[in-house]
Amino acid sequence: MAGTALKHARRAVRLAWVSSIRQPARTGLGILGIAAVGALLFDMLLLSRGLVISFRDMLERANFDVRIFATDSPVAGPPIPDAARLSSAVSRLPEVEAVVPVTFREAELAPADGSPPEAVPHVDSRGAAVEHPRALDVIGVDAGAEPLWTLLEGRDPLPGESGAPVVVNQALAAAHRLTPGSSIAVRGRCGSGAIAPPPAPFTVVGVAEFPFDDGEAETMAARRTDLEALCRGHASGGIDMLLVRSRARDGGDAAAAAIRASSPGLHVMTNDELVERFNRVEFSYFRQISFVLATVTLFFGFLLIAVLLTASVNQRLGEIAALRAVGLSRARVIAGVFAESAIMIGIGAVIAIPVGFALSIWLDDILRRLPGIPANVHFFVFEPRVLLLYTGLLAASALGAAVYPMRIVARLPIAATLRREVVG
Amino acid sequence: MLAALTACGSLAGAAVGAPERGASSELPQVLLSRQLMARARLQVGDTVKLATSPSGEGAASFRVAGVYEPTPDPMRFSQPSLEARLHLPDLLSLTAPASARDSLATVSAINVSLVDPSTADAFAREVSARLPGTLARSTSAPNDRTSTFIVIERFHLAVAIVTLLGSALFLLALMVMLVDERRETVGTLRLIGLTRGRILRQVLVEGMLIASVGTVFGLLFAFAAQGAFNRFFQWRYDTALVFVRITPGVIVQSVLMAVPLGIAASLIASWTFLRRQPLALLRR
Repeated sequence: MAGTALKHARRAVRLAWVSSIRQPARTGLGILGIAAVGALLFDMLLLSRGLVISFRDMLERANFDVRIFATDSPVAGPPIPDAARLSSAVSRLPEVEAVVPVTFREAELAPADGSPPEAVPHVDSRGAAVEHPRALDVIGVDAGAEPLWTLLEGRDPLPGESGAPVVVNQALAAAHRLTPGSSIAVRGRCGSGAIAPPPAPFTVVGVAEFPFDDGEAETMAARRTDLEALCRGHASGGIDMLLVRSRARDGGDAAAAAIRASSPGLHVMTNDELVERFNRVEFSYFRQISFVLATVTLFFGFLLIAVLLTASVNQRLGEIAALRAVGLSRARVIAGVFAESAIMIGIGAVIAIPVGFALSIWLDDILRRLPGIPANVHFFVFEPRVLLLYTGLLAASALGAAVYPMRIVARLPIAATLRREVVG
Repeated sequence: MLAALTACGSLAGAAVGAPERGASSELPQVLLSRQLMARARLQVGDTVKLATSPSGEGAASFRVAGVYEPTPDPMRFSQPSLEARLHLPDLLSLTAPASARDSLATVSAINVSLVDPSTADAFAREVSARLPGTLARSTSAPNDRTSTFIVIERFHLAVAIVTLLGSALFLLALMVMLVDERRETVGTLRLIGLTRGRILRQVLVEGMLIASVGTVFGLLFAFAAQGAFNRFFQWRYDTALVFVRITPGVIVQSVLMAVPLGIAASLIASWTFLRRQPLALLRR
């Protein structure tokens, strides 16, 4: 039974192959068209979960698996009340290995003499005009705490070191020609207040890569104690986030549960919960657009293949009628039409994969220029599930696109068609 | 003067206390966004408590005077618009620390309308220079919000280019097939004396007609799809934002791409046959 089916399938494929290569221009163009559409479909499937996968990977590489905020908004929120005591309490939990309090501030570079900084217009990589003074992102951590960056040049700030040492990112270092040993003056943006604080002096001791920086960000990291100089006379705020690393034997979920039990009212998020929240809110646009574009691409591809196959069958009605007349069964001819669809889509789909990968590099480069998106995040990320989904969708398209042409072939009146061919 | 207190989800959740129906009308008034009213199951006339701390410390009571539809923000469309609008003095007394309440009132932003709007950039630079620590920006100046949409536009354009390329290849394949069907007709016309140029002109007019009709149909389909897309995304994100809008510029761009492409496809497909000798066209 299986052997017979295989034999029939081979015959159908051979028939389809012969029909296809008889019209190389039509077949070649059709395959290339499917490759283009298939590449786009492949990329939309990569986009559907790419950002989430990449973001999760980035969080895990940061080596902290639990984060504590004052509210459920990790993007912007008030400082954590009584954070110092809380940090100490959390670090004593048996499930917790390390706790790093983090403070975020905005500031701007200022000339050391306190005069207003000169606005320097330039065009960023997105083509938008940018004027300085632009906001400087400042990260404050405790001296001696595990660094949240990768040092490229120089060293980290040392506890007890004088001179308010800071580490800057490459964009800030390049924009202002800073190297370890450079002195800078920074004025804090301290929120509401009638008086701007005077600039505070800092010394650059290192240049580093910050994992959550976007392509245009200018970032510096300082000791939290030194940040108090930024907003002298104003409420300098407190700790905005606690980074927690769980013990390997317990894991992030156990540590988060222990923290919630010991300090109810706090907003504790494991990496998985943070990814899920971003997926639901901040990244939802990309999920939606990838779904919409994948659907449109699939429908478009299906329509085009169906039209191509239908036109091809209509052009060969006489030939098909002749084949039926010499004894080929209806099933075999129908199978030939389906095999033709499968061959065209199959070859096109295989070509589409490397084309899709190349296209994804281009599209990824465009989307990574979005402001606020960390430079290390990618939108198009491959996972085996994508290949399975891609194959399944195109297989369904092949079948769907062949339905109408197969119906034409199935209902073809042999004698009338042959007569029309001869007389016409 | 009203000031907007934007509650990012949690603040509204933590700070909007249980409503009290029929409470005193002497309480200060607040306007709540439609989404917040629905989320917290409130009605106009209810009394609510607002606080700036998640614990509810320092909460103040307000009477809900009305509901409004927040201006849709394309930068925050994926986040629910849980907002409240208070009178500025009420907001200041709620948010300013007790020690600072007697000091000069402070605000987050001041909107300025100029006599001559064309001087906005220069005015903004001068204000920034004269007031260190403040940031003055023309409302039309490109910034991160503009950059976001520039990037999105480029992404959509890239996708459109690839789609167009795929369609062009399919179109060429179809035209090759259609021209092949008329091989004998073309061969006969050549034999009776029609020149290649004459036939090519015929093909050109046909191509223009098909491309034009196809373009019109495509635009009609796009208009219909525009409504469906907008309705879906407005339902999905509970917003009044318009996500897809076909402007005259988009129509012109589409026509300028589609019609020449259609004509080119028919000409290229036809030329491969017109190059051959008439007898070769007639031979099977």
